[in-house]
Amino acid sequence: MAKGIEVSINEKSFVFDALKQGIRLDGRKLEDFRNVDITLGDEYGYVDVRLGKTRVVARISAEISTPFEDRPFEGLFTVSTEISPMASAMFENQRQSDDELLISRAIEKAVRRSGALDLESLCIIAGSKCWSIRADVHFLDYDGGFIDASCIAVMTGLQHFRKNDITVSGEQIVIHSVEEREPVELSVLHVPICVTFAFFNPEGVEENIKGESNNEIYIVDTTLEEDLLKDGVLTVAVNKNREVCQISKAGGLPMDALTLMDCGRKAYDIAVELTNQIKKLLEADYKRRNEGIQYKLRAENDRITVE
Amino acid sequence: MSRFEIYSPEGLRVDGRRWNELRRFECRINTHPDSSDGSSYVEQGNSKVICIVNGPMEPSSKAEMSTSKATLKISLNVTPFSSIDRKKRSKNERRIQEIVTSLKRTFEQSIIVNKYPRTTISITLHVLALDGGLLSSITNAITLALIDAGIAMYDYISSVSAGFYNNTPLLDLNQLEESDVSFLTIGVVGKSEKLALLLLENKIPLDQLESVLAIAIAGGHRIRDLMDKEVRRHGDLRLSKLANK
Amino acid sequence: MSTLIIPGDSIPINQKSEQLIGPGLHIDLNTKEIIPINSGLLQNGNKSIHIESNSKRYIPQTNDYVIGTVTGSFGDIFRVSLSNFSSSVSLSAMAFPNASKKNRPNLKVGSLIYARVSNADPIVDIEIECIDPTTGKDGGFGLLEDGFVFDVNLAFARNLLFDANHPILKLLVQKCKFEIAIGLNGKIWIKTDDLKYTLACSKSIQNCQSVTSTRFKEIINTVFKELGL
Repeated sequence: MAKGIEVSINEKSFVFDALKQGIRLDGRKLEDFRNVDITLGDEYGYVDVRLGKTRVVARISAEISTPFEDRPFEGLFTVSTEISPMASAMFENQRQSDDELLISRAIEKAVRRSGALDLESLCIIAGSKCWSIRADVHFLDYDGGFIDASCIAVMTGLQHFRKNDITVSGEQIVIHSVEEREPVELSVLHVPICVTFAFFNPEGVEENIKGESNNEIYIVDTTLEEDLLKDGVLTVAVNKNREVCQISKAGGLPMDALTLMDCGRKAYDIAVELTNQIKKLLEADYKRRNEGIQYKLRAENDRITVE
Repeated sequence: MSRFEIYSPEGLRVDGRRWNELRRFECRINTHPDSSDGSSYVEQGNSKVICIVNGPMEPSSKAEMSTSKATLKISLNVTPFSSIDRKKRSKNERRIQEIVTSLKRTFEQSIIVNKYPRTTISITLHVLALDGGLLSSITNAITLALIDAGIAMYDYISSVSAGFYNNTPLLDLNQLEESDVSFLTIGVVGKSEKLALLLLENKIPLDQLESVLAIAIAGGHRIRDLMDKEVRRHGDLRLSKLANK
Repeated sequence: MSTLIIPGDSIPINQKSEQLIGPGLHIDLNTKEIIPINSGLLQNGNKSIHIESNSKRYIPQTNDYVIGTVTGSFGDIFRVSLSNFSSSVSLSAMAFPNASKKNRPNLKVGSLIYARVSNADPIVDIEIECIDPTTGKDGGFGLLEDGFVFDVNLAFARNLLFDANHPILKLLVQKCKFEIAIGLNGKIWIKTDDLKYTLACSKSIQNCQSVTSTRFKEIINTVFKELGL
């Protein structure tokens, strides 16, 4: 028998009673997203995201590779999301559970399939050379909200990352080092933000399917404990331009279409807030780095005077 | 962009349908009465799916057993000859696995699983031809096969896809449309407006989502009626045989 | 006076008086040497000596009071989980007051129980019981109904259970009346008349576990204020 986290009846009924009164265990309101703490690394494309106790690190890297034969004008973009037991003893090495599969597919769909990264701009020589961008997501600590946190991490990383500048002459490619030429940023077309909702059904399945009451409760950004008790889950990826990039409600508690629309709109508000937070952070980082260059180049460098 | 006109100014689609028209929906239940406990065959346009249900039966290994409810086992086989490019699709492909997981979680809610503790319900699917609407035709086939197997369910789950193109929602897309139009697939519970399943993989403007969902739900209800008709037809057939004896 | 001990250190013992060896210490049978096996604070009392340490995973010891979750029943035995990702322990249906073949306790999967570890021999299955062996009565053990259960660190749970005058409980009593069960496996069950009070109490206890006793009052007041109590 697999050993996992056992949730007692007492906890379950307590959480349900609390939700009915609009209280969550960590004191948030039902529709509150946890505070997102994003740290950018010294290197380009290293992002550390903390969402409550959840911690995710994304690292973007680039190399030159050959494009797929059927898509000669496009570069490559891969997102690697392997969840190791480092995050939580829930996850096992070498074996992917259903949840893990849905997590990595959701990240993949939100970030890659929605065309957040302009793949055509990664083409160097059609059919033979292109940039291959790789996003490695590492899950360091788990307290719910992996999809949301890793989406933020990857999208911030892509905007923060700079790839080396190159010059193409015929079939020859010269890669310039960072010291030689200012590295160039990736062309990110839009910033999808994932928001995960969890559904709770306080009145039993029969009421949910046959009843008219629609008393199902939905909450935003679950912690691990809430995650274990949820009856259904919905992930919405939406960007600032009011475009829904991905919706995934893979089974679970049937929910009224209008409630789902409400979730979409809530997700949009949260996405706008988060996009602005990321933008501000990147601007601050840019300013800090450029000040650094001017500091290095300025005439009145601190000189060591030998007496 | 494709050479085809997805939605002509006259309001016609590539295959001549209007925006709110379903494709031809044909279904049969009890197609494999000897080899299975429940079976069905669904044609949604040119997509053709066979579904076979066995169970509730004793699980093959104890690890799969749950003491409180039935476990669902779904195996999805997209045949290599189902699509034009004859690509061999492995069962371990992540997209297929995601579909399987989604279906499992959908039907775990609509089957009264706690009626069958310590058992497995095994669902096998074969996609014979694929012309768009993979997830929706599979979902409908499973619903019918489960009904045929006599497994207790709360209600029908009827599924259909709907897309959004040039300010018009389009119902039930075929393969050609799917490659150009962003679309979503829903699973509606019975005649309600409740969604058991909702998957969207491309971009749709948030403000248009409601109109797309509305047409999809209407389409889902229509499919539910068609499935119900087939179930009742089959029921009458059996009843008449019974009366003859 | 307590000193920090790390495995590898030598233990200063008084050879003249007899002392009981407690947790965290091990006697090498060949050399008759006492070796510390945990790091922590050395508690050298008159009659006993042990190392007070704070580990994360609970290892059952005989006579520990624990809170567990029932995970299943097989015949006459209930399987009970004491901590996540650890093997479950067994609870005999006969280990209840007045239990007989006919009169079995009715425990559903997911029920919380307060019990005592009756046998923690590592080579056989660990057993717990819901009965006080000296009196044959329930002795406070048994099914815990309603309320809320949460995790704290092991040392904190020990302090809270063994120190009857623990300042946190004294302070909480001034706020509301409550029922509490403390498990040495780092689980605390609490129940009050109102959901908000239960939540406030559990939050207060959780927040207090990592600070010194001087700040308890302040923390408890802020938690109760946040919940509008």
